[in-house]
Amino acid sequence: MQLFSSLKMINLFKIKDQKKEESASAAGKAPVKKQSAGELRLNKDISELNLPKNTSISFPNGKDDLMSFEIVIRPDEGYYMSGSFGFTFQVSPSYPHEPPKVKCKTKVYHPNIDLEGNVCLNILREDWKPVLNINTVIYGLNLLFTQPNDEDPLNHEAAAVLRDNPKMFEANVRRAMAGGYVGQHYFPRCA
Amino acid sequence: MAAAAVAVAEPKTKYDRQLRIWGDQGQAALEKASICLLNSGPTGTEALKNLVLGGIGSVTVVDGSKVEPSDLGNNFLCNSRVNKECLGQSRAQSVCSFLQELNDAVKVKYVEESPGTMIDTNPSFFSQFTVVIATQLPESSLLKLDGICRAADIVLVAARSYGLTGLVRVSVKEHCVIESKPDHFLDDLRLHNPWTELKQFAKSIDICDKDPVVHKHTPYIVILVRLAEKWADAHDGKLPSTRQEKREFKDLIRAHMLNVDEENYKEAVESSYKVSVTPGISTEIRQIIDDSSSEVNLSSSDFWVLVAALKEFIANEGNGDLPLEGTIPDMTSQTEYYVSLQKIYQAKAETDCLAMEHRVKNILKRIGRHPDSISRAYIKTFCKNARKLRVCRYRSMEEEFNAPVISEVQKYFADEDSCFAMNFYILLRAVDRLAANYSRLPGIFDSEIDEDVPRLKVAAVSVLSDMGLNGTSLSEDLVTEVCRFAGAEIHPVAAFIGGVASQEVIKLVTKQFVPLMGTFIFNGIDLKSQVLAL
Amino acid sequence: MASPDAEAPPPTEPERWRDLDILLSRPGNLVHATFQPSPGLRDDIGSFVEVLVVGAGGLGCELLKDLALSGFKNLHVIDMDTIDVSNLNRQFLFRVQDVGKPKAEVAAKRVMERVSGVNIVPHFCRIEDKELEFYNQFQIIVLGLDSIEARSYINSVACGFLEYDSDDKPIPKTAKPMVDGGTEGFKGHARVIMPGTTPCFECNIWLFPPQVKFPLCTLAETPRTAAHCIEYAHLIKWDEVHTGKPFDADNAEHMQWIYSEALQRAELFGISGVTYSLTQGVVKNIIPAIASTNAIISAACALEALKLVSGCSKSVLNYLTYNGLVGTHIKVTEFVRDTDCLVCGPGTLIELDTSSTLSEFIKMLEKHPKLLMSKASVTHEGNNLYMQSPEVLEQMTRQNLSIPMFELLKGASFVTVHVSGMAESNGNKVSSLRKLRVLFKGVEEASKMDTTESS
Repeated sequence: MQLFSSLKMINLFKIKDQKKEESASAAGKAPVKKQSAGELRLNKDISELNLPKNTSISFPNGKDDLMSFEIVIRPDEGYYMSGSFGFTFQVSPSYPHEPPKVKCKTKVYHPNIDLEGNVCLNILREDWKPVLNINTVIYGLNLLFTQPNDEDPLNHEAAAVLRDNPKMFEANVRRAMAGGYVGQHYFPRCA
Repeated sequence: MAAAAVAVAEPKTKYDRQLRIWGDQGQAALEKASICLLNSGPTGTEALKNLVLGGIGSVTVVDGSKVEPSDLGNNFLCNSRVNKECLGQSRAQSVCSFLQELNDAVKVKYVEESPGTMIDTNPSFFSQFTVVIATQLPESSLLKLDGICRAADIVLVAARSYGLTGLVRVSVKEHCVIESKPDHFLDDLRLHNPWTELKQFAKSIDICDKDPVVHKHTPYIVILVRLAEKWADAHDGKLPSTRQEKREFKDLIRAHMLNVDEENYKEAVESSYKVSVTPGISTEIRQIIDDSSSEVNLSSSDFWVLVAALKEFIANEGNGDLPLEGTIPDMTSQTEYYVSLQKIYQAKAETDCLAMEHRVKNILKRIGRHPDSISRAYIKTFCKNARKLRVCRYRSMEEEFNAPVISEVQKYFADEDSCFAMNFYILLRAVDRLAANYSRLPGIFDSEIDEDVPRLKVAAVSVLSDMGLNGTSLSEDLVTEVCRFAGAEIHPVAAFIGGVASQEVIKLVTKQFVPLMGTFIFNGIDLKSQVLAL
Repeated sequence: MASPDAEAPPPTEPERWRDLDILLSRPGNLVHATFQPSPGLRDDIGSFVEVLVVGAGGLGCELLKDLALSGFKNLHVIDMDTIDVSNLNRQFLFRVQDVGKPKAEVAAKRVMERVSGVNIVPHFCRIEDKELEFYNQFQIIVLGLDSIEARSYINSVACGFLEYDSDDKPIPKTAKPMVDGGTEGFKGHARVIMPGTTPCFECNIWLFPPQVKFPLCTLAETPRTAAHCIEYAHLIKWDEVHTGKPFDADNAEHMQWIYSEALQRAELFGISGVTYSLTQGVVKNIIPAIASTNAIISAACALEALKLVSGCSKSVLNYLTYNGLVGTHIKVTEFVRDTDCLVCGPGTLIELDTSSTLSEFIKMLEKHPKLLMSKASVTHEGNNLYMQSPEVLEQMTRQNLSIPMFELLKGASFVTVHVSGMAESNGNKVSSLRKLRVLFKGVEEASKMDTTESS
């Protein structure tokens, strides 16, 4: 076993010599940033992004900080067609061990997105797995706009309307996107 | 933060991280316990330190020695700001002043007396304690102490650090555990044998409801009760049992899905085996209720009175089953269904517990005790944990040394991993035997190591032959190692052994979790340590 | 900071270390091949070895004591936390009157007060605040942490010092060993990581299960447990009521608010079990912790550190788990390295001319027999040199394509870069992320020394 030969007793003296050299040469070095495994994996995810035509992405902190970014989805079909919905992504250094944190920036009348921007999407919480990636999440978010789900709601009222009266739901979505009140809540224009 | 605020908030907050493990009950048991430590070398003091931090009731250190220079190299508790001051002082006193500093809620005492003398001259001294931790004692003293502790029904934990090896052993006639808190345990759902209320509730829900929201929020307990019934109707009243049948049962569950993403149905498929669990009582519990101690009398402990009641319960109200645990795991469901199910399980558990309470009272009357002398809370905890009861019995050291179970010993010698541990076990006993002859441990003098190796081997062979194991060979390398160790108490080894000892004391005192069943042999060479049940 | 007794060692030194010296001065058969027993070995360890203890909590306090009594005399400890009352049941170097003070400073002081001759330098800061070179001064890094993120960070720093030779063999003197401990209740683990030889933290990250996260719609619509009610108050209700005000788990008023909201919700739904203690546990994800388990795991780690520097016995290979729930169960498992590990693996050695541009480099990867990677994106220590996608990043990095790599990498002769793209594997193109060791031909050895120390 050649495992720890670098640390055998004899080398303790080398360590001593090494120390002297280091103190002589250590001055004036620029600190180097350490890239976490999570950051590398995110870089790969980003470089392989296959964004749907209706989705755009931006990096507010520039090209070297991809750990927080924003996307905008402009659905081209369904209830939310021609609306424009922004999401923020926060990725932790433990990614993909931990899922990205996603919030909806645009106030939206939607059964699976609440008025604070929390998004109920299984792969963002209970069903996240390290094999999933940013592409999957963006695909999932797109699906929320083409297939809003009234069975596991986050916005209870919106879900009830979608279930019981789809026509009224459609009208509510239109009104919210155009900028106006649905019930007691005001939705800024996003269309 | 203001100091006053800290002082007020202290006890609960201070123990918060451990209360989450053993709860108020466990903490109360610790705070009532009194611990005696024999020898305050690093092995013993590290064990005590961990107990004092956790708020043990009281500790009493028995040690007649003075702080020597070598104590300053391996015992953190002997060191003090100016270590020259400590030198020559009573070691017990020096250790206790540090222990007191750690936690002023603990009563810290010491007796300046050699443990050997105490064992020989004052055996009744030990009867005041809950647990005696004996460290670095030779076999002869330990044997005597074991006899004393057993006679007084006191738990003995022996610990020894020896170079890169060491051991921890527990000795007590009997230790009964109600809250064994195992890591993984099957839920007590009774899906194979649902009672009336559960069946009625399951029937009240239409599992073929076309409303997708209702359908995907029907708890799997309901799905499985209903489909098990359906299955039984089609199979002469029998539940799926063969592998093929279990597969078909899963298919039956899947056939009721409206949608592939229905979590509750996925959970039903994953839990479908719970329908096929063997009904009745596990072998472990059967052994306990069939134990002769369940024939109770006035001197029986509360635990065995409860076991006697349990036996009656199974034969009567229980219909062959134990009292229901009464809790259900979280599962996909709408709140209303889930809360209703919880209540149904709780109600049945309460009924079972009431029946048990009734039986307990009758038994108590029968044996001449006050019918209310066992608390309701105790009975409730017992019922809740009826499937997890554990009775641990330990052979006395005398029995172990004089009448070894040869088959077990041979089994350990034959197994690659335990063979190392078995070697250490024999060698640590041989060390004491050699010390008895030469008045010193093998390897103490550099100049005599070469002679001590064969001497130790001779001693080890004599231990083996006394055990009836002539011809068993020991590892030459380990004989040499043990000579090399010369009884050195290395701090990290002592901290490890002491840590294990304190962990066992906590389990024994709180009567939660399951203590070490036998002798733990530390292997500091590659850390592959083992437990030997001898 | 100097030890109080540094100038005059007590006259009893050899007697004092009698037990430890037995182990270090005598030969044995079950020792490491390089073990050279000698009466002076302890002194050498004391004089020439510096150990960093990361974390001054439950494990860290024990580790400092254990190492100080194992012959180590130069220790550093780094921790950004201050002492809390709930630490006192196990962090034995702290007292009630220390609450609020920096853990690293108090722990260092207490051990130095008691063990003469040991010098401990405290660092009251985040591990990320230190320059990488800080970590290079230690021969061993011992980790007493409770977070995956922090372990992962230190692991990447320590593995970053590892160099490989041209045959992809790790260069021993560059391997910085780590000893890592962790506990949860009655369970714990201890392991030795020798970068390049045994698996690093990332090789086996799957050993740490991710935290359970409840679906938000369950919290909002179908709560069933006390924890669901607490998480509703924490994750949904707080933002709804306190627009823009961030929740602070260390603020008692905030916690009290969550508790009372959770309690109300539980009553509404007929759910029992919401307590203040559970609220704290769920919101802060509190891991139960006790003194005895920490003592056991730290002792194992300290013993392994002693073996690493002295060779006085074999090393654990390579992962020990302890479980005290039922009996005392210890298991040692020899995990294997992920040879493609991005953090500790050798990666692929690439030789480049100093004149090669980034675009030529990317083209070269397509033909490189070990890579056959097309559409490569290139990143170097947080610097994204070229991103194939998305368009916005491609535009921001496009101008680099015509610049020589040597220039982009700031004149370093030997550099680690990471590339991702479609690489060939068994005849199929699969999306891959690879580590490359780029060596520039004909650049002086002197500059190599410079860059390896800072990379």
